[in-house]
Amino acid sequence: MADIIKCPVCGEGNAADQEFCQYCQSRLQPLTGPLKGADAPLHPGQIPTKKVTAELEPILPQWLRDARNKARQSAEVDTSQAMQQQERIIPPNASEPDLLAGLRSQSRGDDDEDTPDWLANITGVSPKQKKIDSGSSEARRVELGDRSDFAGNTGALKESIPAWQGNTQEASSDTEKDELKDWFRESSGLEGKKDDVPASDSAGWSDQPVSEPGSFSNDQFVPAVSSSDSDSPDWLKRMTPEEDPGNVPSWLSSDMQQEAKGESPSSFADPASGTFEAAPSSADDVPNWLQGIDPKATSAEGVSSDDWLKEHQPKPVEPNLNRHTTPLWLKGNDNSAANPAEAETPIWLSADVPSPPAPPPSRDPFALDDVVPAFGDIPNWLKAAAPQSSIFADSPAEEAPAAPAEASGWLSTFKSNEPPPTPFSVDKAQENLPPTFTSDAFKDGGENALFTEMPDWLSSASPSAPVSSTPALSDSITPGELPSWVQAMRPVDTTSSARPASFSSDQTFESRGALSGLQGVLPAVPGYGPSSKPKIYSIKLQASQEQQSHAALLEQILAAEAEPVPITSFSPLRTSRTLRWLISFAVLVLIIGVTSLQTRIFSMPVAVPNEFNGALQVAQNVPESAPVLVAVDYHPARVGEMEAAAAPMFDQMMVLRHPRLTFISTNETGAILAEHFLAGPLAERGYQYGNQYLNLGYLPGGVMGIRAFTQNPVITMPFDITLNSAWASAPLQGVTSLSQFAALIVITDNVDTARAWIEQTMSTRQATPFPLVVVSSAQAAPMIQPYYDSGQVTGIVNGLYGGAIFEQNNAGRPGTARSYWDAYSLGLLLAMSLMLGGGLWSLALGLRDRAAAKAGR
Amino acid sequence: MAFSPDIIVGLISFLFTIVVFSYLIGDNPLFRIAIYIFTGVSAGYIAAVAWWQVLLPRLVIPLVTAPMQEKLLLVAPMVGAVLILMKLAPRLAGLARPVMAFLVGVGAAVTIAGALGGTLIPQLLGTINAFDVNAAAARGVNLFEVMVNGGVILAGTILTLIYFHFGASARPDGSVRRFGFIEILAWLGRIFIGITLGAMFAGVYAAALTALIERISSLVNFIGKLI
Repeated sequence: MADIIKCPVCGEGNAADQEFCQYCQSRLQPLTGPLKGADAPLHPGQIPTKKVTAELEPILPQWLRDARNKARQSAEVDTSQAMQQQERIIPPNASEPDLLAGLRSQSRGDDDEDTPDWLANITGVSPKQKKIDSGSSEARRVELGDRSDFAGNTGALKESIPAWQGNTQEASSDTEKDELKDWFRESSGLEGKKDDVPASDSAGWSDQPVSEPGSFSNDQFVPAVSSSDSDSPDWLKRMTPEEDPGNVPSWLSSDMQQEAKGESPSSFADPASGTFEAAPSSADDVPNWLQGIDPKATSAEGVSSDDWLKEHQPKPVEPNLNRHTTPLWLKGNDNSAANPAEAETPIWLSADVPSPPAPPPSRDPFALDDVVPAFGDIPNWLKAAAPQSSIFADSPAEEAPAAPAEASGWLSTFKSNEPPPTPFSVDKAQENLPPTFTSDAFKDGGENALFTEMPDWLSSASPSAPVSSTPALSDSITPGELPSWVQAMRPVDTTSSARPASFSSDQTFESRGALSGLQGVLPAVPGYGPSSKPKIYSIKLQASQEQQSHAALLEQILAAEAEPVPITSFSPLRTSRTLRWLISFAVLVLIIGVTSLQTRIFSMPVAVPNEFNGALQVAQNVPESAPVLVAVDYHPARVGEMEAAAAPMFDQMMVLRHPRLTFISTNETGAILAEHFLAGPLAERGYQYGNQYLNLGYLPGGVMGIRAFTQNPVITMPFDITLNSAWASAPLQGVTSLSQFAALIVITDNVDTARAWIEQTMSTRQATPFPLVVVSSAQAAPMIQPYYDSGQVTGIVNGLYGGAIFEQNNAGRPGTARSYWDAYSLGLLLAMSLMLGGGLWSLALGLRDRAAAKAGR
Repeated sequence: MAFSPDIIVGLISFLFTIVVFSYLIGDNPLFRIAIYIFTGVSAGYIAAVAWWQVLLPRLVIPLVTAPMQEKLLLVAPMVGAVLILMKLAPRLAGLARPVMAFLVGVGAAVTIAGALGGTLIPQLLGTINAFDVNAAAARGVNLFEVMVNGGVILAGTILTLIYFHFGASARPDGSVRRFGFIEILAWLGRIFIGITLGAMFAGVYAAALTALIERISSLVNFIGKLI
């Protein structure tokens, strides 16, 4: 398995040392030498390297190279033939008016346009050397006859053999035989006479081009025009206007005149009389070989020639085949006497002359009138090379009888009464072969019959037919007999369903166009073949399943680190707005009603707590007109409660002891609250500022201020709120320290403030004991009670309840507590009832849920 | 018709009281307006008090009228006041650190000293003296009442303190729990704490109720006067 190269075209394996694929003939090995690197792809910015087309030939497929070689060879042959034909062109007659001079001038100016020979002959313009395209295989020349046919004598003919004609002979003597010459020879049946004819002659007229415009294939024989007198035969020379304009044959000159008049030449025109009727001309104008043609003589001499001509009796020409006419000079007259030009029998028509390489005897090589209508403009001899097909409706045998009626001229003497044999039926063995052109298909019913019988050449191409590289032709025509140019152009059998073994699925298979049936048309080298879609590489990270799972796990771990751990907690109690409104409404209605009605339903409290007794003692036992320090440290929101709580005590103290009150506050709003306290519930006592009371104002520093005031009150608070010297005023007269105050009353709603005053004055009060009374709010009283139990506080008056008690001991003065007491009591009762009722309700619900849970279990 | 100041004040009080009561139906713009006014008035009054009752009499006037010795003494607090103002600028806030440190130190010292001498020790002594039969007899309290009172106070104090003891050890089953006896005492201490919190709640309610009664009473009196 080593050293095996896979063909890029068909995908088959080949040996490593092979240069071309053995299946599809595509190149396997890269080019080296001059073409090395030539297949490298171009990069952006590079200028394509100019290459010579010929250098690229090695990369072409083998079959294409073969075709090109054949084309070159054929082109060379064509070139030689063209040169020969040019020599045969008779220059136009200078004496006669050149009616086609205009055409001549136009033709001179066009270098690319090839002047047809027949036109050149008419106009007298030497045809230009035709550039034979070596690569083109479309225009091919077919041998028409012996070269000596147009020669006056053999010797002259020998002399007049143009070089190109000689070359043609040489070319024809190559290994690749011209098929036409063979069947010409064979069909004539005069193979034995071939020896008499020079080899050059046998090539003869049959080498003339066929497909040239205006050439013989187009229903008009145009003899080759050649400027070389030595090469062209005499009759041809006479036809050339340049060389011998005066020697234009009469039949040709008359044709020219008629053409000038717009009439078809008589030599070509008359369909009724057949094609190529002999034109009246002088004996001098008729070529020798034509003059020598005497039907009688030939009939007497050339029995053999008569035979093959008779055998190949031309077919009658229908009127619509006007264009498919044989030149008159090529036709033989029925009356040989009227045509003295026919006195001379051409060599190839003479008895001693071997049968010219002409079409089968039944076929007049120049008798285009034998052309079957269905053939169109293709001569019979050429159609014989074509594959048998049902489109060729009439068999030659049927068409043959029609031809003789119109056949005329010298060739008619050679017509045979026998039905024309099938074309190419040279070999006897081939005679039994079915005719090439049969009308059976049309006999039975028109076009449908076309598909009933498959012609041989088509049947060989059917799917059931074995695959063959060449289409199956009729048995009478072997593949080897096909012209080379036809073989070269023949594509691979496209009708074959079985694809070649070398065909690879990844190679383009041309199905249409000129290259249909071909495979690997483009050079099969890397980079030139059909490129597949480039592989798309994903830019996504290629991770295995395990890697992805690990990554997901890591991601979860990292996410868990950032996630807050929910703390299990009880659900928060939600208050219902409706319940809140109901309670509020109830409370408001109760208080408003009771306040508005000023009821006295509830009695004043009787029980006197111990802490209240201390306060009561202080209030009743303070010295007369003693300085009393009052710290007002509550907020304005607690004014109602605090004043209600402190007013009875101060009222009683003021009434009984007339103390000198000094207000101070560690709260910014304390000073104004003190003023409001004295101007409100204690207004009746008529204390005046500066005489009975003094307001020191705001004591800054909080705890430190209290500490500082306790140590040195004069320095700490030198001024009052009026910015007067406070320690010189009457209320503070004789007071220079804290211990000189008779009592300290702290009115506060904050436990911290009370604690601060208690703690900071502890040292001073230990040194010099003086009573400390705290009038606190109901919310602070529980926290201040320990200080009373510890003996640090002398008495505590807590909220409205303490005020109410004091009022009972003060003869009910000022009466604020009493007015608030019913509402206060009802409010407390309402709250207690609500709390009790709600608790009981919650308890009942809980018990029910628990019972339900137990029942559910 | 001349409106006396009392009427005007009463009217304003009435209006603000109604606006504040509107909070019962929820937060509303009127309530917010009243709050903003109270806050603004309070801030203004405090600023005025700080100037008239602190800076002017204690810094400005002494600097003007006081003798030189008193003026020199005022330099330190004046510098301190200026340095504390540097805290308004982030770049110069470092200059106020010494002053702040002085204030924090002095305040902590005063507080600790006061708490120690004014609360802790006296409270301990008071708890101890609760079982002082002689002192109680001098106050006319019998022995049983003294013992019960003392015992309750002592129990309440100890049990409350035990409740706030959260030191626990891991059990063999993996759970973390306190010692069983501690758990029982903590449960009893929870009772005292609950009772205390209840008393405080009652006091808060009473204070709020009293404030409400006072407000409604003022409204009624105002309306009565108008009528």
